[in-house]
Amino acid sequence: MALKGLDIFKLTPKTNCKDCGVPTCMAFAMKVAQGSVQIGACPHMSDEALAALGEATAPPMKLVKIGAGEREYALGGETVLFRHEKAFVSKNLFGVALKPDSAERVLPEVMKIDYERIGERMHVELLHVGYGGSGNGDMAGSGNGDMADGGSGDRAAFLDTVRKAAAAGRTLVIECGDAGVAREALELAKDGKPLLNGANPSNYAEMARLAEEYGVALGVGAPDIGGIYDTVQALEGLGCKNLVIDVGAASAKEAFANAVQIRRAAIKDSVRSLGYPSLVNLEKLAPGNPELQLALASVFVLKYGSIIIMGDMSYAQALPLFGLRQNIFTDPQKPMTVEPGVYPINGADESAICATTVNFALTYFIISGELQRSGVPVNLLISDAGGYSVLTAWAAGKLSAASLEKFFSEQGLNDRLKNRTLLIPGKVAVLKGEIEESLPGWNIVVAPNEAVGIVKFMKELSA
Amino acid sequence: MGRFIVIGERIHCISPAIRAAMEARDPEPILRRAREQLDAGAVYLDVNIGPAAKNGEDLMKWAVRLIQENCDNVPLCLDTANAAAIEAGISVYDRSRGKPIVNSANAGDRKSNVDLAARNDAIAIALCSKDGVPANNDERQEYCQELLEHGLALGMEAEDLWFDPLCLVIKGMQEKQLEMLEFIRQLNDMGLSSVCGISNISNGMPKAVRPIIDSTELAMAIECGLKAAILNPCERRMMETVKAADIILNNTLYADSFLDI
Amino acid sequence: MPFAPVPQAFKSSLKEVVIGAGESAVALGGENVLPLYSFDAPIKNRPKVGIEISDLGPDRSLPELAKFYEGASSAAELAARACAAPGADFVCLWLEGADPNGEDRDVADCVKICREVAEASPLPLAVQGCGSPDKDARLFEKIAEALQGRNVLLLSAKEENYKGIAVAAVTAYGQKIAAESSVDINLAKQLNVLISQLGIAGDSTVMHLGASAAGYGFEYIASTTDRVRLAALAQNDAALQMPVIAPVAADAWSVKESVMSEDEFPEWGPVERRGADMEICTASAMIAAGANAVIVRHPRSAAAVAELISALL
Repeated sequence: MALKGLDIFKLTPKTNCKDCGVPTCMAFAMKVAQGSVQIGACPHMSDEALAALGEATAPPMKLVKIGAGEREYALGGETVLFRHEKAFVSKNLFGVALKPDSAERVLPEVMKIDYERIGERMHVELLHVGYGGSGNGDMAGSGNGDMADGGSGDRAAFLDTVRKAAAAGRTLVIECGDAGVAREALELAKDGKPLLNGANPSNYAEMARLAEEYGVALGVGAPDIGGIYDTVQALEGLGCKNLVIDVGAASAKEAFANAVQIRRAAIKDSVRSLGYPSLVNLEKLAPGNPELQLALASVFVLKYGSIIIMGDMSYAQALPLFGLRQNIFTDPQKPMTVEPGVYPINGADESAICATTVNFALTYFIISGELQRSGVPVNLLISDAGGYSVLTAWAAGKLSAASLEKFFSEQGLNDRLKNRTLLIPGKVAVLKGEIEESLPGWNIVVAPNEAVGIVKFMKELSA
Repeated sequence: MGRFIVIGERIHCISPAIRAAMEARDPEPILRRAREQLDAGAVYLDVNIGPAAKNGEDLMKWAVRLIQENCDNVPLCLDTANAAAIEAGISVYDRSRGKPIVNSANAGDRKSNVDLAARNDAIAIALCSKDGVPANNDERQEYCQELLEHGLALGMEAEDLWFDPLCLVIKGMQEKQLEMLEFIRQLNDMGLSSVCGISNISNGMPKAVRPIIDSTELAMAIECGLKAAILNPCERRMMETVKAADIILNNTLYADSFLDI
Repeated sequence: MPFAPVPQAFKSSLKEVVIGAGESAVALGGENVLPLYSFDAPIKNRPKVGIEISDLGPDRSLPELAKFYEGASSAAELAARACAAPGADFVCLWLEGADPNGEDRDVADCVKICREVAEASPLPLAVQGCGSPDKDARLFEKIAEALQGRNVLLLSAKEENYKGIAVAAVTAYGQKIAAESSVDINLAKQLNVLISQLGIAGDSTVMHLGASAAGYGFEYIASTTDRVRLAALAQNDAALQMPVIAPVAADAWSVKESVMSEDEFPEWGPVERRGADMEICTASAMIAAGANAVIVRHPRSAAAVAELISALL
């Protein structure tokens, strides 16, 4: 983060001694801020001042990694509060909480959710397994009653669930405030570098040692934001900086307030000890209420959940949630695009009618959705039009008779497709003649101007 | 960055109509000019009561109350050599729409106006000079540092000191303009606020030329980071420049009607 | 040093727009903080939830929805049922049948339906046009007249038709309007300026900034809403201080995830659940982005979103 000259000036001795070669301390501070002079040119800066400057120029939020190998994920590292300023760095991860009594039922359902959307694999990245009453959630005042006593039977069931989860091929979040039991769980899951959640004001030193020993990131929580800050500082004092902050389980309201205030303090107010990714456990905030969990998850995708744990995730919930996440974590400077190629819709084969549009993902989604709704089999041909919308692509020369000709020959479409009718977007009706020339043998038909007209148009066309 | 702050300069005792109104305590001419300037887009209004050695305190109180009560507590910039009058004005000032501005302090005999601002939680315009105009930016920096340290020592926030680099008249000091702009940029890099009276630069020029020179210099100064200027908002070209600059600097969202709002 | 968060309320606040009359009237907006940031300052009015009904009736192929509206056939009966849905703060009648490319129901019939719906609705009423600028302008003028005193919200006035609608609905009959732009922040501002230049105060207009379902370019509407809200609060931009309404129903229920049959995607599960989940997700994200009101179609969505609002405020 760039330091303002004023911050530097305040740390100078303000003696105007000229030992740095500049007439005044003010002028010196200006030059340091501009980068034309190094701070070391002043022989009179105190160690505290230099340390403060070093701290101030550190990134506002740490990038923390959890998981191993292909399942290693980066969290945090954000530099802005709003995505229109600059793209967010790390997309949030979704997790599902497995409990001993329901893991057998929930796990296969969760594993089914695995599909691709615009080049991104969509699946539940994390499995959460919690133990007893000593995790962060309960420090914050709302435990899961059924797991509150943490007896030996629970311990066996917990470890058994950890074992099952570890075998599922996803990264784990192990939540356990009892360092002894946590060690047993880590032994079972250490290869996957799980996140160990459960450090709190009373056990943090032990937990820090454990996280250090196993080389895993540590989740830390406390009953309130002041306690979180103090505990993080204590952990930092022990050299433990590979942290994730659990925003708590007292209530959804408080968890949201913590998530926002922690992120804002880190990014806007440069509070380094709050510059860590967050974890929110919706199963604790809205136990057994999948619809409220879905609603809360949607909110936390926008406002600052790095890890979002749900009690379960149905396919119906996954579809909008993963779509939402994919949208929010795109780079505002770069439009989302789909791969050029042939996309058969409604079971289209080589003899189905063809339609073409640009590779801007939004356009693709709208057009393919409407085509699907029409029920008419159609091959949607997507050429590389620079990721622009139809009119912009046309104006920029990215969607033209020549670009389509090139696309057709690269893809070998004259051989691959038997049908010779091609629908072009109504907004580029002007290209009809040129396309007819560049694609001899094709019957070029102008489709509607707006997507809403497609269903009717297709039905009439195929009638 | 917030939007550019225009401080309307038209309530000034140098104007015969205003001087007469102040002497006669006649509200109308003063309020008319206040409203004209606000309609044109002024944020602050400068109230210059002249040297006002006699009755300055009463006059400033009267003017502050008059303008604020009739213009939705518009924030004011209290402008006189009579420090007691400024303090009297602040004593009746409503700060719901912004702190009062003390116009002005310098590193010379008006340094105590920083103290005045500090004890009244006001903003001070701090001229980067001691007496007369600064010779170069080294001097400006020296006075700036002196005033900044003084204000900070009195517990002021740096943001309540608005430094004035002192605009120099082009007819006579044409070669100094770029250095002045450079100083505004330095202040901005420092994280300090700057303000200036823009029309000084075109003193002595033909009337038709002045707005062209003034608005162009203003645009260049705004690009360097100028936060506020004391100017005549009723001069259309000036306000068009300010509004366009606010759009280009992304201080406000563009709309086709941006000149109308 | 211990950490204590500093409340970061703004000096500027949103305008407050009231719709409906009497005890059930609801107020939108008025806050001086970012969406849901009640830790910065109290939020004057919670976001509100509207339930959409269509003059063409509900999609009775969805079992839950069919059951909810069982026995209700006229728009008035549907409205009465919708008003009783848990979580509903207002009802939104969508004059789907007025579409010149569809049923092309004439203005007089539409006005009659509106009158009956208003009579049958204990909650405030919003009326959404068919989307044709010309037809909507003619509709709204008559509806505004017929429902005088009801303080209804008319969705929407666009660049093409705002003049007639604003003058007829607001100036002549004191109704409220939504100024609609399609995910274009400069146009959103311009439309508000143009409407205010007709002498219409900010407490008579809400903004409809455009809509997208989650996964379908939602980032554009999310960032547009972020920027509108920051302009309103941080930059004190009076032309953007109107509350935001997000009618998400139509988009949420038209995307692939909400319409493809279970036969084609067996692993996805029942269509109705998918549509409702798409709607819950989209509406919740819009509230997080800054919507002061959302309009949803499914009673399950209304209940979930209302529960979300209660949980967070």
